[in-house]
Amino acid sequence: MAEVPIERHALDNGLRIVLSRDPRAPLVAVNLWYDVGSRHEKAGKTGFAHLFEHMMFQGSANVEKGQHFSLVQAAGGTLNASTWLDRTNYFETLPGHELELALWLEAERMASLLPAMTQEKLDNQRDVVKNERRFSVDNQPYGDWDERMQALVYPVGHPYHHSTIGSMEDLSAASLEDVSEFFATYYAPNNAVLTVAGDFETDAALAMIERHFGPIAANDALPPPPDMSVDPVLGAPVRETAVDQVPLPRIYLAHRVPPFGTDAFDAYDVAADILGSGRASRLYAALVREQRVAQDVSVFVFPIIGGASMFALWVTARPGIHLETLEGSLLAEIERLATEGPTDADLERVRNLQASRTASGLERISERADRLSMYTCLFDEPQRINDEVDRYAAVDANRVRHALQAAIVPDNRVTLTYVPAEAGS
Amino acid sequence: MITRPAASAPRPYRFPDFVRHTLPNGLGVWLVPLPERELVSVQVLTDAGASTEDDAQGGIAALTAQLLVTGTRRLDAAAFAEEAERLGIEVGSESSWDSARAGFTALGAHLAAGLGLLTEMLTEPRLDEGEFDRLRAERLNDIMQARAEPGRLADERFLQEVFADGVPYGRLSAGRPETVEPLRVADARDFHASRYAPNVADIVIAGGFDPDVALAAVERHLGGWAGSGPGHRVIEPRQRGARRVVLVDRPGSVQSELRVGHLGIDRHDPRYFPAMVMAALLGGVFGSRLNRRLREELGYTYGARCSFDPRRAVGPFTANAAVQTEVTTDAIRELVAQLDRIRAAPPEDAELAEVRDFLVGVFPLRFETTAGIAAAIEPLAVYDLDDDWWHAYRSRLEAVTPADVHAVAQELVRPDEALIVVVGDADKLRDELSAADLGPLEVASA
Repeated sequence: MAEVPIERHALDNGLRIVLSRDPRAPLVAVNLWYDVGSRHEKAGKTGFAHLFEHMMFQGSANVEKGQHFSLVQAAGGTLNASTWLDRTNYFETLPGHELELALWLEAERMASLLPAMTQEKLDNQRDVVKNERRFSVDNQPYGDWDERMQALVYPVGHPYHHSTIGSMEDLSAASLEDVSEFFATYYAPNNAVLTVAGDFETDAALAMIERHFGPIAANDALPPPPDMSVDPVLGAPVRETAVDQVPLPRIYLAHRVPPFGTDAFDAYDVAADILGSGRASRLYAALVREQRVAQDVSVFVFPIIGGASMFALWVTARPGIHLETLEGSLLAEIERLATEGPTDADLERVRNLQASRTASGLERISERADRLSMYTCLFDEPQRINDEVDRYAAVDANRVRHALQAAIVPDNRVTLTYVPAEAGS
Repeated sequence: MITRPAASAPRPYRFPDFVRHTLPNGLGVWLVPLPERELVSVQVLTDAGASTEDDAQGGIAALTAQLLVTGTRRLDAAAFAEEAERLGIEVGSESSWDSARAGFTALGAHLAAGLGLLTEMLTEPRLDEGEFDRLRAERLNDIMQARAEPGRLADERFLQEVFADGVPYGRLSAGRPETVEPLRVADARDFHASRYAPNVADIVIAGGFDPDVALAAVERHLGGWAGSGPGHRVIEPRQRGARRVVLVDRPGSVQSELRVGHLGIDRHDPRYFPAMVMAALLGGVFGSRLNRRLREELGYTYGARCSFDPRRAVGPFTANAAVQTEVTTDAIRELVAQLDRIRAAPPEDAELAEVRDFLVGVFPLRFETTAGIAAAIEPLAVYDLDDDWWHAYRSRLEAVTPADVHAVAQELVRPDEALIVVVGDADKLRDELSAADLGPLEVASA
């Protein structure tokens, strides 16, 4: 697979810079990761990191509300931002000749967000975020599964115990003082990674970055990262039943596994694909195609770095199938893979799927930029982008078997079942 | 004051050149060689979408498309999946109203092997009874699940209520439970035998390959595909009724899913470009009128937007938003007010320029991937658009004036005829909606 070119720089104020030049298309991607996510939120402030991300689009000293979007779009660019457990990212993809616009806009709000803040803007975006929560969680079947799972997998007080979207109560309590404090604490150049990928001239890009980001002061009092330590396994089975307006019952399982970025994590990544990725995967073949007890199946590992990650999966029951039957079939398949280990064919299949997906993902400069920011922000190792396929291929049958035997076990399992309201009440 | 930095000179961009061939059996071949790419995307487009099915068999096109990936004469479902995925190939097969689409994206080295598998599934599919019954059951379950989701329920009800009785578009192309339930594998076998044929099909290949080698491979694999298909029938959409409100009860909802609209345009409408610009300005970009008003000023929703869905025949125009229950009536008023407003006067030059510049400028970004380029060929093949469609695309957008936007808004946005579908908690909404003078109210169960 073609190497992604990587060039590292840094500004005196601590801003880390990754450049990845590729002039094939006249496009450039700008991507900023701030090392702040919902895991940095204090008690009573759940959802704030994400609400703050919305405030970053409400204007700054020299940009009006909504203008960040309109300037980028009028330049023929796309843009957005997202907040997750570990981080918040902001990104634009534009025609290459508009690179400086994106750099200026990102620097502008990193330098001077607060003069533009008003109570009216905060109230407006609080309402928008509450509607985002209603839309994606409260008004959706199975919509609160990850919120429930995080609360069950991580103990009270752990930074992953609560969801990124946060609670309505905490969103209501967010104040302008919170905005100021959060900005002053986390939105500093020495808490961020800036990646530029695509069609640009290196010297010119570096000069622009220095011009716009250079004058921004570092935060010399960055707080230490939150304590993420947690027992590597749960120690006892946990079960919860949710009664919801769902037509079909569904089982969610989650387990504590080693954090993203470790060699141990890679084995769970491979195991998840053997079990759930593609029509030849173990669980699709057994539960959906052969036994016909499940409507669908999905398996994934959260790429999160603190203390423990989460190996999760769900299966939806076909009508008339008892949850006990479905759970029995599901666990039997997992057990079989844990006992016998994967075959050579399993490994060849998932390695080639992963190679195709990696190549497809990296076709987009925005994806390249995001992964470079991620590996730099989380591990200070952008070159990991070029190791993805090799790391994955290095996982052999023994590592998969040992991984499953170590952590995908009853004492380390949360079982969350959704049952239809009529049947459950 | 804005101190926006000046842009440097833009680099020119041109949509990639492609070559067309027609095989003796009628199969259209579209090759888009992109020498620097390591991936290839392949799509076979067959005029075997839902507009070729009988009304009584609504959903057979979608089920047949899905059934194709469950094995061939040589390979059963498990073996077919295994053989493809061991090459890193994930074969997709699905259908819309206007075409059935089967294909994949893979590393270039696997192009020939992937073409072989695609050929087998199109020309020698297994069409197994057990697999058909499984897929039919899964489809019925999926329809049931969709009706539990407020957004998908609103989408389905809007189609059902906006088109007159007897118009096939009044349902999802995947069918209704009443038409899917009686389908049997024999129906899929008949559908495949009669609709899938090279004279109504095109293959598109985009990515890193040698065009001579690829053409030879297509000839070798698909040159022997025999048969003749009828292609689509003519659909004549008509709207049901005048302005009215349909409240679909979903007890316990904390938001109302709104769909407001009526019939729109077809894919060959001469007003296509001004209509696209107008829809983007009204509800297609973040700073559009609908999103600016309902989200950024009022905070009623996470997002409000609108779009046309042009098909071979006239598809719907729909504005939508999910709003918190308490503001439902006011949100509808605000939404309709924006439909009135865009009819009332031409947009300011600056407002139009922003949207037009976005659509023009974002053009190369749409074609960053091999899959994106293959997808761009699809409307050329399916709707017989000019070969220079994409080369002329940006200048056609640039030609749109404020007066053009105003004219298409007056013709194509008709709030007086709009159907308003609300999926929400009827106990909380019934009284205020019936008192709101938005149109006659019907309350329906989900």
